[in-house]
Amino acid sequence: MSKDISRTITRIAEILINELKLEDVTPETFDPDLDLVDEVGIDSMDMATVALFLRDEYKIRIDEDDYPKLTTVRIIARYIDEKLNSNE
Amino acid sequence: MITVSSLLDDHWFERYKKIARLNIRSSIYDVTDRCNLRCKGCFFFSSGEHEVASEEKDISKWHGFVEKEMERGVNLAILIGGEPTLCLDRVEAFYKRLPTFCATNGLIKVPRDRFPDMMVGLSLWGDAEDEQLLRGKDTFKISSANYAGDPHAYYLYTITPKQLGKTEKIIRKIQDVGLKVHMQLLSNDEEVDGFSWQPDELIAVRAEMDDMLDKYPETVISSRYYHEIITTGRMLGRPFGWMECPSVTEPIDKREPRPKRLTNFIRWSSDLHTMHRCCTSETRDCSTCKDGAAHMSWVMVNKRAHIKTTKDLQNWIEVYEMFAKLYQFIPW
Repeated sequence: MSKDISRTITRIAEILINELKLEDVTPETFDPDLDLVDEVGIDSMDMATVALFLRDEYKIRIDEDDYPKLTTVRIIARYIDEKLNSNE
Repeated sequence: MITVSSLLDDHWFERYKKIARLNIRSSIYDVTDRCNLRCKGCFFFSSGEHEVASEEKDISKWHGFVEKEMERGVNLAILIGGEPTLCLDRVEAFYKRLPTFCATNGLIKVPRDRFPDMMVGLSLWGDAEDEQLLRGKDTFKISSANYAGDPHAYYLYTITPKQLGKTEKIIRKIQDVGLKVHMQLLSNDEEVDGFSWQPDELIAVRAEMDDMLDKYPETVISSRYYHEIITTGRMLGRPFGWMECPSVTEPIDKREPRPKRLTNFIRWSSDLHTMHRCCTSETRDCSTCKDGAAHMSWVMVNKRAHIKTTKDLQNWIEVYEMFAKLYQFIPW
């Protein structure tokens, strides 16, 4: 795993924790492979909020049609990474 | 961190997973301004909503409109009135493209060769005496003959304070014609004498609804938590009202601060341009609103608030399942 991806994972976890007000977890201890719907319980409204933060932070657009496949923090990080690379 | 699986056993976790990704996005559509009944207390007529716009009569515009609604992300069309079955070509414009629910008084039978699996909600306002008083007709006699045994129809039984102690008789009648029933409470918009809920009556009706659910679990589609929310107007200590309701039409929603948990809801008038304030009457006092769908939606959009204890999350699952059953996203 590259350092960039690792940093993105931590940052996404931080956004989730802050926005969803998740307790008893830190960006460092957040399991990046935890299923966000099945285990964290996020829904499309949460995802829309998180997507806005990610858009501002990484200057990428996350289509609503893509929400269903963004099931873990690691998958979101890879998605962002791919978007950034394709913009280069 | 509390996770979903840490709160639920395998059985409940499986139930959760069946609904967790449904992402239901409904909007409500007035199909027509006309009705073949004039019920006392019907919010559509009592608040003058039938006069705010002239209905669109060009059927091609209805087809184009539904396409645009789908592009907006709507995946459930809830058709209300007037009486939608007076305009089946408009109903068909939705049904051909979207999961569609049609609310009707049941006096006209939806032709099943044309709408084989469209969910139909049959309105019922009580026993023959109350139906006669409020609607001028005992509709059950006709609607039950039209829909007996139909697997894609159920009764929307609006309980009034006058029905206290009588609900079991109604539930049995519905069971006997092979249909399901969902219970809701009358919001007495026209202030018909004796039909406004008093605090002690709300306590009594909650107990009665719980009792009906326990006694007729195969017939009654409901949940105890829904009964609690709709009779107390409170969820997790928060009161229902204008600032909480998710069933406010989003493009004209001027609430400040705007609630975060909204689903692009719109209630459209039958001119296909005019939007109504919310899923029910514009003149209704939100603090006493008893609209069942609005209260269910209120619970459903607040999932994470329920991921605190096992009981809270089970309550949320039961309400979401109830909604998903009523609109055919999961089987009975």
